[in-house]
Parts: sequence; structure tokens; C-alpha cells
Amino acid sequence: MKITNYELRIAKSVSRIGAALLVCGLAFLNVWAQNDGSQQNQTGKAGTFAITNARIVTVSGATIENGTVVIQNGKIAAVGASVTIPANAERIDGKGLSVFPGMIDASTNLGLAEISGGVPASVDVAETGSMNANAKAYTAVNPHSSHVNVTRVNGITTVLSMPVGGLISGQATVINLNGSTQSEMGVVPNFGLVINFPRISTFGGFGGGFGAPPVEFGEAVKRRDTQIEELKKIFKDTENYARAKEAYAKDKTLPYPATNLRLEAMIPYIRGERPILFTAERERDIRGVVKFVEETRVKGVIVGGQEAWKVADGLKKNNIPVIYTNIYNLPVRDDDAYDFLFEAPSKLQQAGVRFAISTGNDGAEVRDLPYHAGLAGAYGLSKEEALKSVTLYPAQILGIANQFGSIETGKTANIVVADGDILEPRTNIKYLFINGRMLPLTSRHTELYESFKDRK
Amino acid sequence: MKIRFILPALLAVGSLFSLSASAQSYSITNARIVTVSGATIENGTVVVRDGLIESVGANLKPPADAQVFNGSGLTVYPGFFDTLTSLGMQAQAAATGRGQGGGPAAQAQTPQNVSNSNYAGGLRPEESAIDELKAGEAQFETNRNAGFTTVVTVGRSGIFNGQSAVINLAGDSVSSMVVKTPFAEHVSFTTIRGTYPSSLLGTFSALRQMLLDAQRHQELQKLYAANPVGMKRPEDDKSLETLISVLNGQMPIVFNANREIEIIRALDLAKEFNLKAIIAGGQESWKVTERLKTQKVPVLLSLNFPKRTAAASAEADPESIDVLRLRAETPKTAAKLAQAGVKFAFQSGGLTTLNDFYANAGKSVENGLSKDAAVRAMTLSAAEILGVENRLGSIEKGKIANLTVVRGDILGKDKTVTHVFVDGKLFEQKEKPATPAGGRGAAGRGTTPDAATAVSAIAAVGGNYSVTIDIPGQPLSGTFAFTQQGAILSGTIQTQLGTSPIKDGKVTAEGFTFSSSVEFGGSTIEIIVKGTVSGNQISGTIDSPQGAIPFSGTKNP
Amino acid sequence: MKKITTLFLTILFIATVSGSSVYAQAQKNEVLIRNATILTASRGTLQNTDILIQNGKITKIGTNLKASANAIVFDGTGKFVTPGIIDAHSHTMLDAINEISSSVTSMTNVRDVLNPTDISIYRALAGGVTTANLLHGSANPIGGQNTVVRYKFGRPVEEFVFPGAPPGIKFALGENPKRIGSNPQPGQTPRYPITRMGTMEVIRDAFIRARDYKQSWDDFRAKKTRVQPRRNLELEPLVEILEGKRLVHAHGYRSDEHLNLLLIADEFGFKIQTLQHALEAYKIAPEIAKRGTAASVFADSWSYKLEAYDSIPYNAAILWKNGVNVSINSDSDERARRLNLDAAKIMKYGGVPEEEALKMITLNPAKQLGIDKQTGSVDIGKDADLVIWTAHPFSVYSRPEITMIEGTVYFDRGRDVLQRAEIAKEREALEKLDVNKAPGSGATQPRVPSERRIEERDEADLVNGGNH
Repeated sequence: MKITNYELRIAKSVSRIGAALLVCGLAFLNVWAQNDGSQQNQTGKAGTFAITNARIVTVSGATIENGTVVIQNGKIAAVGASVTIPANAERIDGKGLSVFPGMIDASTNLGLAEISGGVPASVDVAETGSMNANAKAYTAVNPHSSHVNVTRVNGITTVLSMPVGGLISGQATVINLNGSTQSEMGVVPNFGLVINFPRISTFGGFGGGFGAPPVEFGEAVKRRDTQIEELKKIFKDTENYARAKEAYAKDKTLPYPATNLRLEAMIPYIRGERPILFTAERERDIRGVVKFVEETRVKGVIVGGQEAWKVADGLKKNNIPVIYTNIYNLPVRDDDAYDFLFEAPSKLQQAGVRFAISTGNDGAEVRDLPYHAGLAGAYGLSKEEALKSVTLYPAQILGIANQFGSIETGKTANIVVADGDILEPRTNIKYLFINGRMLPLTSRHTELYESFKDRK
Repeated sequence: MKIRFILPALLAVGSLFSLSASAQSYSITNARIVTVSGATIENGTVVVRDGLIESVGANLKPPADAQVFNGSGLTVYPGFFDTLTSLGMQAQAAATGRGQGGGPAAQAQTPQNVSNSNYAGGLRPEESAIDELKAGEAQFETNRNAGFTTVVTVGRSGIFNGQSAVINLAGDSVSSMVVKTPFAEHVSFTTIRGTYPSSLLGTFSALRQMLLDAQRHQELQKLYAANPVGMKRPEDDKSLETLISVLNGQMPIVFNANREIEIIRALDLAKEFNLKAIIAGGQESWKVTERLKTQKVPVLLSLNFPKRTAAASAEADPESIDVLRLRAETPKTAAKLAQAGVKFAFQSGGLTTLNDFYANAGKSVENGLSKDAAVRAMTLSAAEILGVENRLGSIEKGKIANLTVVRGDILGKDKTVTHVFVDGKLFEQKEKPATPAGGRGAAGRGTTPDAATAVSAIAAVGGNYSVTIDIPGQPLSGTFAFTQQGAILSGTIQTQLGTSPIKDGKVTAEGFTFSSSVEFGGSTIEIIVKGTVSGNQISGTIDSPQGAIPFSGTKNP
Repeated sequence: MKKITTLFLTILFIATVSGSSVYAQAQKNEVLIRNATILTASRGTLQNTDILIQNGKITKIGTNLKASANAIVFDGTGKFVTPGIIDAHSHTMLDAINEISSSVTSMTNVRDVLNPTDISIYRALAGGVTTANLLHGSANPIGGQNTVVRYKFGRPVEEFVFPGAPPGIKFALGENPKRIGSNPQPGQTPRYPITRMGTMEVIRDAFIRARDYKQSWDDFRAKKTRVQPRRNLELEPLVEILEGKRLVHAHGYRSDEHLNLLLIADEFGFKIQTLQHALEAYKIAPEIAKRGTAASVFADSWSYKLEAYDSIPYNAAILWKNGVNVSINSDSDERARRLNLDAAKIMKYGGVPEEEALKMITLNPAKQLGIDKQTGSVDIGKDADLVIWTAHPFSVYSRPEITMIEGTVYFDRGRDVLQRAEIAKEREALEKLDVNKAPGSGATQPRVPSERRIEERDEADLVNGGNH
């Protein structure tokens, strides 16, 4: 009954979208012809572009106060104060504008949850069960989610989208926010494994009108310890599995080991070939992660990291970076200083821990990424570091800094042209490039705006 | 605990008690007499006759017919008051059990709780303690032995807890126990599960509407009496009738309130309707002394001080500074009230270990309260707040002979209650206390053949039970783990509030009782659990300062 | 005592920004803010200007203003001053939010459950918020009465209540009231309504009953009846609505639903003061404008529930262009701390001018709540509810340095930072006390290390949103 209701309403909602698109279609008829017919309705136009006379915030190097960026074949072909502009380039006058690398949000669920509350049919963030190493966000992220355009028109061009839930949630994907298929979007299709590092929780489970009663504290501690043991066992099982597989590959006289999809998926992670994203917030849990990484010698990343600065030494020693997601959160304890979570990135920076700032958002508000960084800037972080924390630093943590995160010749042309500091909420994005394609600055929101702004 | 407290008394004055208890007149001579109303008599005599204090003075000759006790080394106090208890109240079903508000479990409770009230269970001010009060003095032995002679008793469930009574802890009928009834209407800022009011918001609007309705009810009655023409006959409504006396200031209204904001809310409501209010609990009342004084509101101050019972856990978060401050400040409250001129009396606040009552009164003295004021808060101040000061609260000629005789200083460490007189009746220390098991005495007797025979007659309740505790609005699941050794019950109860050991556990032919304490909101709440086991079913009630809460469950295989 | 209570007292007696002057105890003394950039929210921006505050009111605005010798002086050089932010939709400091047992709970009033020690008050002050409209939740088509407060953290609760603010009430449409109905407790029948149809009928029915109730009083006053009617706390506020004495703040999302409520109000002859959330209000902007109804919206939240899927950040701009009074609210203890940035976003989405955007968190909500005579802009004669910012408040890098209400400082960043060591020392001393030592064994729960504090955004309007 309830589901039927929702379906009815979704149908209604979709028809409204249809109407809006119809109107917008007329309004945007003159905007680039290379539409693919998806809800995004645009994949932009490829070509050679030259942004001239602009302030170029390269992030990796010095800012060029008046320079040119040339985009060709999807790459940054040239950048500098005086560069040769190819004859066929479409020139964009960047006078009064600034050029930035596209921003990167290193932990979201974008594309996995269209309407997070009350519409479960639109939500694909968490698989059932506690061990889902083989679940891949890449296979569920919706290229046509309305969140994609809404996010990118605010200057975010690349995100990591990750599954949640259970002990091992699955594999996160790094995608560009443009493309009609997952493969067109994919930057690192299966980037990292999400492990919710066991922590003390007295959550008693669902059930009853108010949920089941919480478990007793000592029990919760035991449960946490048991889960860590479980996690270790999974790692051990994976090692054994991998050994048997390899042995068989070399020697077919050995018994054939049956394939186990879940363990199979774990192999590159336990071997440190790909990173593991450990979600952890409090000091004790982060220490737990550090110890676990030391023991297993995996490539670890902290996601969350409220109190990560308190574990700076351990994180540095084990080269564990932090994807910090707590700017838009309240300090958890009454006794915490009011700016406890605003200040944390600057403390990480001062301690020399590698970090990035992320929204940790499920999709709709990933577009606020610049303000998360900016607020850290208001509470201790320098403006330059704040900008890096959503461009170059996440690119480094995601292992894509050779292609993303700064404006350098040869890098992928994910570029944003704005009329001011890109972290400021008043700044307007003027041009947007992903993979060198110039994208129209339209979204579900601009479409609805156009539909209704002149209604009398 | 209690046993240890009273046993030395047996040794010390056992010979005195062995004298006939049927004498009508007693004299305690050579004692220090703390009259409270007047100067303390360092060496004097008190004469008790026919339930009253016949005379008191330094140079009195005991009447010839009096049974004389040499009170050398003893101090005689007016009998002590505990100004808020639920003593003698039948194990009640929670308020939810009585109205349409109850969930299925609560409704299954008890047929005797059927009411003709117009209001949901929990909103029935007419319910009166004396209707629930169980007669008989044996049940008060623990409290009496600890030196208490007079208490306020009332149920603890619902928003309206009902009308309380002031009772002496002696007498074989309700009417002989009662000193004053009703004393006051009692109110808790709680909610009713599943029906209006289900939130604190609704609690206030419901109280307000009922008070307005009572005002109108009174006016309609007057109007109708003057001339019935043109109006409907006013309905008989016992709930509103009760509130009329509250509105008219004939009956005080006691608000259970500990936090500053709760006290302020109570004071606001009292002001709005010009009620004669009393605050019970009053943990943070020291923050509101100006208003208490201005509105002439006394405090029934709980001596159940918050204490830390949790072991430090390296895995846990530190306690909040507010909790730390609360524990540090609470023992100072009494002194601050006294200093500000706010009238107050002590109450046990759900303590099960009554020795803590005196220990915490002593802590109040360590924190600045004068000893006299502390004793007054257990005697005459209490009597004044309860409106029985013409009959109780001090050692004066003609007052009711409620006396507590103590070896040592009642507020000091080494003290023994040696004699207790209630209504002039001397209580002999019985060799075998009925309720509080678990002490050395009970354990010692457990091995005799007689005891073994007795054991076979009692219920078998050992085992683990999954139970649901039907707290209004927030049912709590938990586990009772019982170990039964004869009549002794031990084990733990476990809920989301924690795991607590069973104290004073006892099994009888009818069922089991035990006490325990749980920590909640920074303070320790003492609970008393009574129940029965039938087959694999367990049920009963939990008495807490927040009210009586039913529980039920099944035995785990 | 809250940690900040101590802090506050310290501020009163010894603290200072410049290091020499002494803060006013309450409002007796003068306060002078010197040489600041002032965003007045009514008359544009004033550069290098002074503000003189006497007895809690702004008495002079100009240059080279003189104050008496014992005035507290803030050097505003390089700093920005705005009116205190007014959050037109909040549930901060409420010990209960929803009375869900009935579809009409107009008898309840959040004034009864204010908790002045809620730490979120202080955190909002630290974000520049001075005033908030504390609303009942959205579990009922007709909810409880609201209270407008100033965040006088550390003061007695009665001083929080905004003097003279007209009374109001919460209404709610859409998913929340019907969802409460469709999730009955075990053993209960569903609460009416469970559809938008039913929601409208609940409201209509309530006003018909209120009209009858009013009639019964009119008859009595005209001596047509002998017996005074029973005072009905449920219907009295609705009569006040009919008489134009109580402001309706109506939570809702879908434009058709909000429009239907406006039509019911037309039918019964009253005005809806504000549409709350109103994320689709842009679709019916002319209809809203025509009725003089205001809108209090989120800057750019969307897609968190089905009825928020058509929400667009251009909503405020379209409404503004249609002449609707728009405010930006938080409905969240977390979001309340950054309403200045939400207002900044409005400039970007639809080109609303700076001062108009600033008004959406100051003067506009003041008008919506009927308190614009006292607060909401930097004008002579108004109460000195002011924020001193390190940079333009629409810059993400700015932060409040001082938040004052009626000239009294309730947040001072410098002082806050200094105080942290003292708090730590106090904790250390407290932990050494016997009462605070663990006995080493025990049976109760240690504090679970939590990771999230409930953040409420509309959902917390609902009953299960935690303690707010």
C-alpha cells in the first residue's frame, strides 16, 4: 500500500520532470547539439579551448595573475602567462575570471541515493549482510542521477562514491561527473574497499516502536573486539584462498579451489595493492585502525576522522591519510569547544597528516564541498590549504594526482572558471570542463527555475 | 546493611526491651533530649503516656507507674520524618494500566484498577494514598528500626500521583496510622504512553486544562445551587472536585522536580493558578532560592545524592562536566536553602539504604548546614511543611509521642537507634526482621534444619528471564538473572541502563522481592522489585521514585 | 551549571576584547563599536562608522561618536557589523518537540518546555544567531504554539522570551503529519489523517469547531446564554487565529498543498503568516504574494524526501522577485551556525542583491515574527542585537567575534578560547573529588563514545529526530 503510494508519487514526479524538460528543451535548443538524450541531456562539447586573460590558480604551483589555459583532446595542453594558442581553439575571454582545477569530493554516496528519505526504491547505498567486499559502487552509481549536474555546476568535477553499511561495505568508485555510462564516468572504477572499522556501539538493532534496547556497555566492547577478530579472520581467509588459487594456477594437479567471489574481491586490498577506506571518527577507533594497518600492512585511509589529529604520529608513521567529513557536524559532546570540528583540519595540517576535506554527503549536498573547505579556512586553515584540501590533496589520496587536482600541462582538463574565489558561496561558476568537454551549466534546478521564474 | 545497623542496638538495650511492652507509660531518664522546639536538655527525662508526651524536663520525677529506662548516654529526638515515600502502598500497576492509555501488557494487569474517572489513567488526582494503603505495622519495620516514625506516602505513577497521606509507622488499621489525609496532591512531569499527553508539551497543557475545568466546575456548582434554571446539572466529577481544593489553596500541590528548569516550570504553573506549591526532590533548588522564597514554596529535599557507581572504563567517554559539577554541588544544597531562608525538610528520595539518609544529612552538615537545621529538617520543619506541627515534630508536652532514641550522634558515624516510639508505643526489636534479608543474621540461619524445611515451602524462581519493563513511552527490555539459595535471592538485572546486582533479595511462598539501584541522568535511582513466577512466566512491579512500573516476561530455556 | 554559564559570568565582570575595558553587567553601561563596516540590513552599508549603544539600544550611528569614560569600546577596524541573525524555524532548547497523540495539538505551547541550558544555544550564538522562532514539530496538521526567544544563554529562562512578540502556532502539511498517522504504535489504530486529503479536512474541521466555540462565547457575552462556556485550550488559539491575533507558521512542501491551505484561510477569513520550508513555493509565488503571506525556506536543501525533490535554490529569488517576504531558516542546531552562508548562496542563485539576501536572515524574519520594531536591522532606536564579524559575513572565511543581545555580550570568541584552559582545570579539580571517583566496580553504563549528534532538518520536526 505504502509502496504503491510512493510509486504513484514518483510517477507524478517524473511526469513533472518531463514537463520541465519540455520547457527547458526549448530554452536550451541553442545549447550544443551533442546531447545523448539522457536526463542530463547534455554531455557537452569537445574541442580545443583557450581561456585567456584569466587568473589561473594552478594549486600545484604559483598562481598566474594573467594567463592562458589551453584545452585540447581532453587534456590541459598548455598553461602559462604567454602560451601559443592553437588556431582552431575556441577562445574564452577570462578577463576578471579565475581558473581552478575541478574540485574533488573524496567520500560521497553520489549517484547511489536519489531521494534518501522515504523512497527506498531510489536508494542503493547499502547491501544486506556484513561482508560485501565484492559489491561495487561502480555498478550502481546512476549516471543520470539529478545530483550529478547539480553538483558539477558548482565546480565539483570528480567524486568518490562509496557504499555503506555492514563491516565490509564494498568497493568505492572514483568518477567524473559527466558521462552517459558508468564507463564514461569512471576514473578509478574500483578504487578502494570500505571497511567500517568496528567501534563501540550499544545499538541494539531495530524492532519495536522505538528500536530494540541498546546492549550493555561491556557487551558492546566485547562485540567490537569480536568484530575486529572477524575482520582479521576474513583477511586470513583471503590469504589462504589466494595462496590456494595461485598454487593451483602453477600446478593443475592440485585440487581445484572453488571460487569465492567475496574473498576474491579482497585480494588486492589485503595485499596493499589498493587502498582500504576505514571509516572511523573517535581517537580510540582511529588508533585501532593504525594498529590494524601496522599489523596487516595494508594501504589505509581514514574516512571521517573527527579526532584524527590526536593520532597524528601513528597516521604519519603508517602513511595513512584522512578524508575529513565533519565540517557540517555538531561536536558530539556538550563539553567540546564550539569550533572543535571546524578546527580539526587545521590541526591535521599542522601535525603534518595528509588530509582532504569532504562533505561525506549522500549526493544532494555534495555541491557544498567548497564551503566545507572554506569554513575550515575560517578556523585556522590557510586559504591555500583550504583550496588544496578539495583539489590536489584528495587527488593525491585517491592516487589520481598525476591527472587531477591541479592545473598543469598534460593533466586531464577538469577545469572550472569562476568570477571569484571558488570556495566563496557568492562566487559564480562561468565555465565548466570535464575531460576537456565544455559542459552547459544546467541542472534539474536551472530547468525548474527556467520553467517557473516568469510564472505570473 | 540495615541489619548491621540495628544489631548492635539489640545487644546494647536488649535487656530493656525484654521488659513488658504492654506498659502504658514510659519514662526515659538521664538522657540528652533534643526538643527541637526549645533548648536541648543535656540531662533530662521524657514521660510518655497514652500515646502522648506527658512531660519533658531536666528535673522530672518519673511517675510511679511508668516503666523507666535509664537513658544515660542516649539522645532522644522527636521521631524522624521521611517526607516522601511510597511506604505501605500496594504494588500498583503503572498509571497506564488503569486507563485507555495502557498498552496491551499494561491493560492485562489488574481488574481492581478499573476506574469510573472521566480521565485517562495518570490524570486522576482523586486517587488517594489511603485507599491504596495496606494496614499493619510489620511492613514498616525496616524504616521504623532506622528511626523513622512518620512519613508522607503516595503512589508514584502517572502525572497526578494522587493525594498523599501523612502516616505514623505504627497501627494495625489504616485509620490508626493516618495522621493527616489528604496531605497534598502530587504531580510528576511525566507522560502517558500512547495517548494524550504523550509528551511534556501535552503534560503541561493537560494540567492547565484540568485546572481550568476545575475552576469552572466550582463556579457551575455555585451557579446551580443558586438557581438551576437555564443550565444543565453540573456533572459529578471527582477528579475536578479534588482539584478544587488544590485551586483554593486548601491542599498543597507537590511537584516532583530536581533540575532547575523543572523547578522553574513547577513554580510558573503554581504562579499561574496561585497554587500552594511544594517542590519535592529539589536537587538544583539552590539555583532557584529567590523564587522559592518569593513564592513561599518549601522543598522536600531528597537525600539521594547522585553518586558515581560506574567503574572507569578506558573505552568510555569521560563524564560531562555538568555531571561532575552536579555531584559536587548537591551536598551543598541544604545549606544554601537554609541560608536563603527557604523552608525545607528531608526525604529519602528512593534510597533503599536508609543509613544513607543520615549519612547524607551529615554530608549536608559538612557542607555548611548547621546540625540543628539538619535535625530540624528531619523533624519540626517537616511537621510544619506537612501541617502537623501542632502534634508532631518536637518534644513538647501534649505532642504525639513519636520519639527516636539514639546512642551517638544521629549525624555522626557511630550511631545506633536504640528505641523507637510511635504514638507512644515502644517497638521491640524483633529478632528476625521480615523483609531485609541478606545480612549476616539471615545467612547464618540458612543452614539449620528448620530453615531447610522452610525453604521447601517457598517458590522456585532461579534462572534467567527476558523481561519487558513497561515504562510509559519507552518500554525497556532486559534480563533478570536469578540465583536462588533457599530464601536468598542473588543475581543481576540488566537493561539498557546497565547491569545492577540484586540487593536484599528474598524469596517467599508468594514470590520474590529485591532492591537494586540504577544510574540515570547522573543520579542513582533505588528501585524495589516485587514479583511472582508462574511456570515460565514472570511478572511484577518495579517501584521507583518515578512510579510503579509493571514488568513481565518469560524464562529463557 | 553549564560550562558556559561560568564563562558568561566571567565575561560580565572581567572580559574584554581590547584587554582593558569591562563589559556591562546587563545593559546599564554604554557600548561603542568604533570604525566598523556596518551592514544595516535596512539602509545599505556604512563604511568606517561607529555605533553607540545605551541601555541596550542603538542610540547613535555615525562617525567620531563619543561615549562616556566607562563605556565598553570595540575596535571595529577591518571588521563587519550586522544585525543579529534571526532563525525563523528552530527547535533548539526544547525538551519536547511533538505531541503526536492527536492531529490537533493547539493547546500545547513550547514555552512550557524551554531548556535554557541547551549547549546548542551557545553554538548558535557563536554563529551569530541572536533570536529564534521555536516551533512545535510537524507531526500534526495543527501543532502547538510557538515561542520567539532571544538566546540569552546563562540568563533565566523567562528572559529568553521575546517581549511583545505576537503569539503564533505551527501547522504542518504533507509527509510528516500523514506519516505519523500511518505508523501507529503496536495495538493502536492509525491516527487520522494518513493522506493529504485528510490533512486538509482536519484543519477545516478544527476551524469549524473554533468558529462554533467563538459563537458560544459571543452568545454568552451577549447574555443569550446564562452559563459561561468551558474554556477550551485547544480552540482558544484557533479563535485567536480567526481574530487575526495569532500568526500561523505552516510547514509544507508541495505547492498545491500550501495553496490549498491558503484557500482554507481565505475561506475562514484569516491570513497565513508564513509558509515554512515551502520549497516549492516558487511555483505559486504570485498566489502567495497576493495574500501577503511570507515564506521561510531552506537556502538549498533538497532531495532528502520525495516532497523536497522539486526544491530549487532559486526558490528564494523567485519569491523575492514576486514581492514575497522571504527568510532563510535552519530547522537545525547544526545549520543554525552558518545561516550567513546560506544567505550568501541566495545572491548566487537568482541574483538577489546583497542587502536583500542579508535581510533574509535579519529584517525579513523579524517582520515575519512581528518583532521588527525591536530588532532585525542596525537602526537607531532598535535593540542592540549585533554581531561583529572578522570579515564580510557572506564570506566563507568570516566568523563571529562578538555576538551581543541588547548590548550585552553573549558570545566572545577571544574569551571562549581563553576560557578553555580554565574549564580543563575545573574538570581536573572536580574529577579529584570523592563524589566523582569511580568506586572501581559498579553496575551502570559508562558513556558510549558517540560519533554523531542529531542534526535535524525537517526530519527532526518529526518525533523520532532525537531530543529536539
